[in-house]
This record gives sequence, C-alpha cells and structure tokens, in this order.
Amino acid sequence: MARSGDCADGARARQHVFLLPECLKDASKKMKSGLMFVKLVNPCSGEGAIYLFNMCLQQLFEIKVFKEKHHSWFINQSVQSGGLLHFATPMDPLFLLLHYLIKADKEGKFQPLDQVVVDDMFPNCILLLKLPELEKLLQHVTEERGIDKKKYYKFSKEKTLKWLEKKVNQTMAALKTNNVNVGARVQSTAFFSGDQVSSDKEEDYIRYAHGLISDYISKELSDDLSKYLKLPEPSASLPNPPSKKVKLSDEPVEAKEDYTKFNTKGLKTEKKNSKMTAAQKALAKVDKSGMKSIDSFFGAKSKKKIGKI
Amino acid sequence: MDLSELERDNTGRCRLSSPVPAVCRKEPCALGVDEAGRGPVLGPMVYAICYCPLSRLADLEALKVADSKTLSESERDRLFAKMKEDRDFVGWALDVLSPNLISTSMLGRVKYNLNSLSHDTAAGLVQYALDQGVQVAQVFVDTVGMPDTYQQRLQQRFPGVEVTVKAKADALYPVVSAASICAKVARDQAVRNWQFVEKLQDLDADYGSGYPNDPKTKAWLRRHVEPVFGFPQFVRFSWRTAQSILEKEAEDVTWEDSGTEDQEGLGRITSYFNEGPRTRPRLPHRYFQERSLEAATSL
Amino acid sequence: MESSDEAAVQKHRIHLRPVSLRDAAPVTLHLLPCEVPVNQPAPVGRFFTPAIRQGPAGLEVSFRGRKLRGEEVVLPPGLVGYVMVMEEKQDFSEGPENDDEQEEQELVEPPEALERNFDCFIGATASFSRFTLWGLETIPGPDAKVRGALTWPSLAAAIHSQVPED
Repeated sequence: MARSGDCADGARARQHVFLLPECLKDASKKMKSGLMFVKLVNPCSGEGAIYLFNMCLQQLFEIKVFKEKHHSWFINQSVQSGGLLHFATPMDPLFLLLHYLIKADKEGKFQPLDQVVVDDMFPNCILLLKLPELEKLLQHVTEERGIDKKKYYKFSKEKTLKWLEKKVNQTMAALKTNNVNVGARVQSTAFFSGDQVSSDKEEDYIRYAHGLISDYISKELSDDLSKYLKLPEPSASLPNPPSKKVKLSDEPVEAKEDYTKFNTKGLKTEKKNSKMTAAQKALAKVDKSGMKSIDSFFGAKSKKKIGKI
Repeated sequence: MDLSELERDNTGRCRLSSPVPAVCRKEPCALGVDEAGRGPVLGPMVYAICYCPLSRLADLEALKVADSKTLSESERDRLFAKMKEDRDFVGWALDVLSPNLISTSMLGRVKYNLNSLSHDTAAGLVQYALDQGVQVAQVFVDTVGMPDTYQQRLQQRFPGVEVTVKAKADALYPVVSAASICAKVARDQAVRNWQFVEKLQDLDADYGSGYPNDPKTKAWLRRHVEPVFGFPQFVRFSWRTAQSILEKEAEDVTWEDSGTEDQEGLGRITSYFNEGPRTRPRLPHRYFQERSLEAATSL
Repeated sequence: MESSDEAAVQKHRIHLRPVSLRDAAPVTLHLLPCEVPVNQPAPVGRFFTPAIRQGPAGLEVSFRGRKLRGEEVVLPPGLVGYVMVMEEKQDFSEGPENDDEQEEQELVEPPEALERNFDCFIGATASFSRFTLWGLETIPGPDAKVRGALTWPSLAAAIHSQVPED
C-alpha cells in the first residue's frame, strides 16, 4: 500500500489523547511552567517509564496507556492511528525512592538522599528530591540518622514491609468499594451481581492487592511481602486461570460445556454462579497467540495473567 | 413513484407498496418476483413483486408488459403508469436495499452473501403479500444462479403456493415482467435522485451505468476515492471493483476479524522480550491486562 | 520520546504548557474498532458524522462498508480529557548541536533550571469530557476494556494515597 505505514506518519503530528486529573487543570491557572513528563525507572520492570511532575504543587503522576489492537481515533477532522488513551494518575513517590534506597543499601551504610537518588540512565530522578515532605515519607521505609542538620538514610526492610502491608490494606478496601472482580476468573461486568461480590473471598482480595502493589516494587520485595502477609504459595499445579476456554469454577452450571475443573488444592475457591456469557468467552478468547509460551516462561506468576500481553 | 421515504434515509432498507386491490384478497392470484440493480457497484438493489388475479392475467398481458431490459426507460415509465391506472386488479410492492445495507451485510463478521440477501428479500415480499391478505396461488420468480435449490427453498417456505423459479422468467410470465418494470423504475429513480449521506463537494453524477465494467463507472470511483473513508455510501464496498481501488488508493484499514491476527500477535510478543535487554520484564498485574493498560514508555 | 538515541531520550524533559490546559477548545472524539495506519487530516465531518444514526440500541454508522455500533462514554468525575501535540523543536542555532555538548550544557546549568534548551514542549490543543466509543457490529457495552481502563484513576488514587500513621 503505497501511502500507508510509517512513511506517511512522519510528516504529520502525532496527537496524544490524555486523561488528566482535574487538579492539574486548576493548578495550570497559577503556573507558567513546572509540568513535565520525564522518563524514570519503573521499579517493577527496571525499565524506563514515563512519569509526570507537577513542580508547583509538587506532585508525581504515573502514566498508564490504554492500548488495544485495532483502534484508531477520529479527532475532530483528523485520524490518529493506534487509538491510545493515556492516563495520568497520582503516584506515591516512595515507590520510586524505594528502588534507589534498596540499591544503595548494598553498601550497607547510612547515606544522604542526594547520594542515594542518582541514576546515570535516568538523571531526571533528581526531581524526586524536590517533592514535599520527603522526610516524613522516608520514615516509612528507612532508618535515619541526623548529623549537623543533615539527614542520612538507610533502607529498612522491616519498616518497608509494614508500610507495604498498609498499602495492601488500603488497596483491598478500594478494591471492595470499586467492585473489582478479584476472583480467579474472567468476569463480565454485565454479569456482575451482588452475590458474586460477596462471594469473593478475603484471601482473593489480599492476593489481588498484593499483586497490584507488586507492580510498583521489585520481584524480591514482592516475594518478601508475600511471606510477610503469609500468603500461601501459589501451587505450581494450578491451571493458568483466565486463559481461553478454561472455566474457573468448581461448579459448572451448564454441565454439557467442557469446563476444566479448578484445582482447589492450595487455593480456596468458592461455589460461584459461573455461567460464562458470550462476552466472557470473547474476552477469554482474546490473544490466544503465544499465550502458552509466555505462561510457561513465567511459571508461578502465570496465575495473574489473562488476556493481552 | 414516491420514494420520499427512501430519500429521507437511504442507509438501510425501505419498503414501498401499492394498495392491495380488493379483488386480490378474494380471488387466487399469480405473483411475480424480480429484481433490478443486482450487478452494479453503485446504488441500491431493488426487489419487486407484482400480483394480479389469475382471472385478470390476460388484462395484464394486454398492457404489453415485457422484460424491463428490453424496454426503454420511457416505455417502462409509461407501463408503470398504466399499472397504476389498473390499480383495481394489479398490486405491487418493493424493497429497496441500500448500497450501505449490501456492503455491511456482505462484509459482516458473519458474511451474508448477495444470494442469501436476495432470496430472503424475495421471500419477505411474498410473505408481505400473504400478510396483506393477497390470495397468492402461484409465485413466479426470475433468477440468476441455480433455480432448483432456490425453488425448493421457496416451496418449503410457502407450502400452500405453487412456486416456479426460472431463469428469464421476466420474459416468460407477465407478472414477472410487471415486477421487473416496478423494480427497474424504482432503481432508476432512486439512483437519479440519490441523496448522498455525506456532505460532499465536487460531486458529479457522471458515473455511467454503475456496472463495474463500465469505464465511466470506474473513472467515477477513482475520482471519488477518499484515503481514509474510501467511498460515499452510494458505493458497494463489497464489490471487487471497489475493493481493488481501495487497496491501491486508500489507507489499509484493519479490523479484528481481518485475519492476520495470529502473526501479528506473535510479532508483538517477540518484541516485548527484545525490548528488555537488562531485566526480563514482569507482566503487568491481571488488573491492568484485563483493561489493556500498561505503563507508558514513550510519548 | 521516540528518538533512536536512547541515552538522550532518558534525559529529556517534555514540558507540558500549563496555559494550554486552561482554555483548550472542546474536541469531538470517536474511538474506532479498527486500525487506520495514518495520522493525518480526514474529512470526518463530511463522511462520518452525517452518517451517524440513532438506532434502537444505540448509535449506528458505517465505515468502509462495515457496520459500527456505538455509545457515548462520559469521563469519570475528576478527569479532564486533552488532546496534546508535541511542539516542533525550537531552532538550535543557539544551543549545542550534539549530545556531548548537551551534556556539558546540562552540567553547567543550575539544578533549578527545569527547562533546558534540549527539552521538548507539548501542549494541549483541545479538551473533552466525553467521546464516542464504537464497536464492530456490536455495542461495546460495559465489558469494553476501555471502560474498565476508565475505572483505573479511582483505584490508583486509593493505592497511592498516603498510608495512615500507626
């Protein structure tokens, strides 16, 4: 196709569709500058990711992007490929600081923060030091010493796990108020009913919240947190939950369908009304390609995965 | 013919009909089915039925109705006017299938081909006559394609009616000739007065016969191709002629059922792993995967 | 940030012009269930908008001979939608040309200088509070992933709020 593809893209400005918290719009009334996107290390992946600073109100935002195949935007009188939708949401800077504190802890001594938060790859990390009330925040995850007004910090795993537990707890509460389906299966929102919400077990919530928090910390810390919370080890024999046709219930409603029984060993499941709607099936069917190899690749972690890669 | 309803919205289908002559509700009738505008890449396809009592078939024949293709446009208009005069014993009904309906049916996730669309429309019109109380005794259908299976299917659907499906039925049976005239008159008028849904400038009506092999039609299509939208809805996107112009002169739009899914999926996974030379990335939590959300890594 | 020069990319700051957020004009957005592989002007108002119909179960339109069904999606409270465009690079006549010099430049600048001459600028060109979500032949409905995505900000707020003191 002569005119399609990247060469045609080049000449036109890419339009980014963003959702920002209203507070940024309000803040913009008072500021001339101070909003900036920078690349910082994502503490979960170790890769670079985009964050947004508001230097006036001293806030940090993470940027997530909705990215699904086969989408495009019509934006007024133009077309924009990709159909991406960016979300800027407030982010606790402590997750980013933790990454550096843990790295610095390899030296095993108390250090001033400006020696801790350094990064050749992502020099913009120094912007984190401008955020407010850092001293107060750091109390959650460090031991500190003060010499001549200068503060010296050292990562404390014990305090950090306590702090992360609080994070897990407030996340669990939010999962409940937001009606997030935390059961080990795909669920149609349309099919959501009060019964199912209550049938999601406490353990499902804590595991789910732990998983979400783990997206902001290293694998090692995530494993430590799992032990600290006394989460049972996910059994290796568990089927990969919401993949494809697998129905994750021990009580099929339509017996004639080929339900793969859930292996209940090691993970409690509850009787759930679990007829799979067409939408669920469609959802579960998405992106079959390559699922298997990735599941096996990530072994135990595969429990979390579903849908797109 | 009053096509104002079609002109108000020509994106779907539209049914028009004459009043049912009283005699057709009392006496057994012959009913003919024919179509106009099946082949063109432009404009609607029209299916028509025409019916009259068996006892008045000679009167219909006396109008000298003939296969509409053998008649000039003015002759067709004259004959259609005559049928209107004979409204005490001749009735008709028609379905206008917009080019948009044809495109979206044929290009649907579940393909609805032109034959099925045609057969269902024809059967729908016969049913309509029955529902209106017309005493349909015999049905004559003109067909392209295989008459036998089509006849079987119609016969099954209308067991109380004697069904005859035949190639060139429009030349053999006056009710079919009359139906062909109704269909052709409606199709011509619809094309002539086509209300473009799009707000187009520089639109010309120099599209010739609308048949794909007409050089004028092809030139019109090339003139009016738009890189993003393709063509106005007046064009049947499902026709090969239209598709091949789009392939060459418009952007390559892909849908989730476009059929290259698996390959693309594999490509993406490979690149996912290649992107992370330093650490093997952990997959985002299921919450994000279920919502197609990921950390933004570029702007 | 799609430069091939990775090292330089990580250093960049993309400054969002606050003023552009204040009075961005409203924009009409449609999220389509297909990939159109270009970014360019398109006569949406002549081909697409006039063809939208209110069907029995929602909005209907055709695109490229395919049937689309759609619905309005209103942004959750507390969110504002923006369309942003990166500004063309300022001319570099005053600034250094290559990365080495840029690095030097950065070092001599005081740390307070948030805007460096190799930084980029992005600005909002329009704002929105709703968009039309289209599905291929079926209404996207409550199970649409993008609808799920729209619930993220409220969960994010909870995850990232400060923990209670002991």
